Amino acid sequence: MKILIVEDEIELLDSMTTYLKNEDFICERASSFFEAEDKIVGFGYDIIILDITLPDGSGIDLLKLIKEHSTKTGVLIVSAKNSLDDKLLGLDLGADDYITKPFHLAELNSRINSLIRRRNFDGDDSSIQFNEINVDPSSKSVTVNGKHIELTKKEYNLLLYFITNKNKVLTKESIAEHLWGDDIEMADSYDFIYTHMGNLRKKMKKLGAPNYLQTMYGLGYKFTDNKQ
Amino acid sequence: MKLIQRTSRTYLWLSIIIFIASTIILIFVLTTVMNNRLDDQLLYNKGVIAKRIKYDYPLTIFEEPEVLNEAENKKFAKDTLIYKDTLILRAIEGEGVNEFEKYRQLTAYETLHGTRYKIITRNSLVRNQDFIWVIVWSTFIIILLLLTGLWILNTQISKKIWRPFNTNLDKLKKFSIQDQNPIALEPSKIDEFIELNNSIKGLTLKLQSDFNNLKEFSENASHEMQTPLAIMKSKIELLLQSSTLTKEQSEQLQSIYQAGNRLSKLNKTLLLLAKVENQQFSDKEEISFKTLIEKQLENYEDFIINKKITVHKELSDHICSANMILVDTLVSNLLSNAIKHNIPNGKIDIIYNKDTLIFSNTGNTLKGDPVNLFNRFKKESTLKDSLGLGLAIIKQICDVNLWQLNYTCKENLHIITVIFKT
Repeated sequence: MKILIVEDEIELLDSMTTYLKNEDFICERASSFFEAEDKIVGFGYDIIILDITLPDGSGIDLLKLIKEHSTKTGVLIVSAKNSLDDKLLGLDLGADDYITKPFHLAELNSRINSLIRRRNFDGDDSSIQFNEINVDPSSKSVTVNGKHIELTKKEYNLLLYFITNKNKVLTKESIAEHLWGDDIEMADSYDFIYTHMGNLRKKMKKLGAPNYLQTMYGLGYKFTDNKQ
Repeated sequence: MKLIQRTSRTYLWLSIIIFIASTIILIFVLTTVMNNRLDDQLLYNKGVIAKRIKYDYPLTIFEEPEVLNEAENKKFAKDTLIYKDTLILRAIEGEGVNEFEKYRQLTAYETLHGTRYKIITRNSLVRNQDFIWVIVWSTFIIILLLLTGLWILNTQISKKIWRPFNTNLDKLKKFSIQDQNPIALEPSKIDEFIELNNSIKGLTLKLQSDFNNLKEFSENASHEMQTPLAIMKSKIELLLQSSTLTKEQSEQLQSIYQAGNRLSKLNKTLLLLAKVENQQFSDKEEISFKTLIEKQLENYEDFIINKKITVHKELSDHICSANMILVDTLVSNLLSNAIKHNIPNGKIDIIYNKDTLIFSNTGNTLKGDPVNLFNRFKKESTLKDSLGLGLAIIKQICDVNLWQLNYTCKENLHIITVIFKT
């Protein structure tokens, strides 16, 4: 999967590249309007992560260019503006999703994966396999060892978030924002993550899946099959 | 005291003083002139009497003639004229009453045909005094009329002159720094008022532009902070993935991460506030509060269940026209507020109809002043995750939509009411 990241802040660009490379994406980077223009015209990408505000041009113009060259490319807009106009304009012009700075890298990865699933690039079955766990996003159903497992909406979202960001430490803040939206300002939201995690663990264990969820010193959780 | 009263009072005092002074002068002058005239008359009469004595004409005698005594004769050996005012007891005809009347009297000592005579002529002063009083009273009435006339004229003129001032004062009272339009003052032809108007215009324009700059600044500052925050957060997240972290390092990283998160939430909220304030959410669409409230209830389900809160709702299907983001934020903040400050096993009542939206929840008694509750960073709770901006956002959203926001507290029941009709 080939990704182009357009972002003028080099430090942020570095972080995004590092995280996504770890997720086995092939990442190319562009830190200015012209660099991005060159790459968009010259090469094909599956996904383009596009910062709207570039010092030498508008990301909106790049979006138009992308849509002229390849309709297959998925576009995720990144903006510091959080303004509705940008969002609507971006989505109207064919962007697939919109994320606001500052974001969690895990959330970015999750959005990219969901974008890939929605666009269904391979054309075949889009279900995600993790050892004995199989998640089918199109029907929102999960099977463990071939057996269907009944999950609540929150548990399903939690599991999908974990599998998408497997082997990564996910902070409680990032999980809370993923589950309840970033407007959430509730002190006890972290307790619920714990509750949902407990329920998820129990349900999976019942069907014979080992405990993949590791607690990381109160920082957050990691979904992995590597033993510590 | 009104200006017109103040000046009128001064005029009145001045008029009274002038009136008294002029009356005194008038009485004095008139008395002098009349006495002079009277004295001339008395002198003339004395002359007539003297002539009659001289030529032996018969005299009409009013009183029995006195015999000039020696002492008097000696005292007035030369011809003398003495004028004086005197009171004489006189019977008033028809009434049978004796009354003293004031007379002007001339006593003359003269030698006629070799005999010493004392001739007394008098004239009543009563008529003169009556005359003087008539004049004084007329003056009084004239001055009174003049004063009344002036007062009426003054009130009318001042009403007309002060009208633009009063309208402008009303406008100034209603002036809001958040108005986008400059204040429109009623013009006046009076120099002082023109100057005042110009000063007010200048002042309000300056206020508005300063306020706008401040708003822009806070919005820009919030924007500019987003990127460094994003870098910070992403770097920490990457660092967290490192497998060589010790427990201690992880804990420290966690503190930094949480602080960063808090900062970024604060920043986002301030940015939202600035945007609401700057009226950047002006697109209106058809909104069903019912759907939005139910959506938010679902989103907050975990929190409601956890506190064992009973939610009771009465939602009308009414569709209203408003900005979706604002209404969504409003509902979300009202609900999260009602949950956050609730007590275990508490209650939340949500009532929506086309005129009002009411959120009431059980909770602990308010310790602070409820007036401050909607101010920024005023926190009642000690919840560490509370930014103290939730109610400020609610207030701001109501303000830009011209909705009325009320808070009441009845026996641990906190009620927030949004009234849509203005």
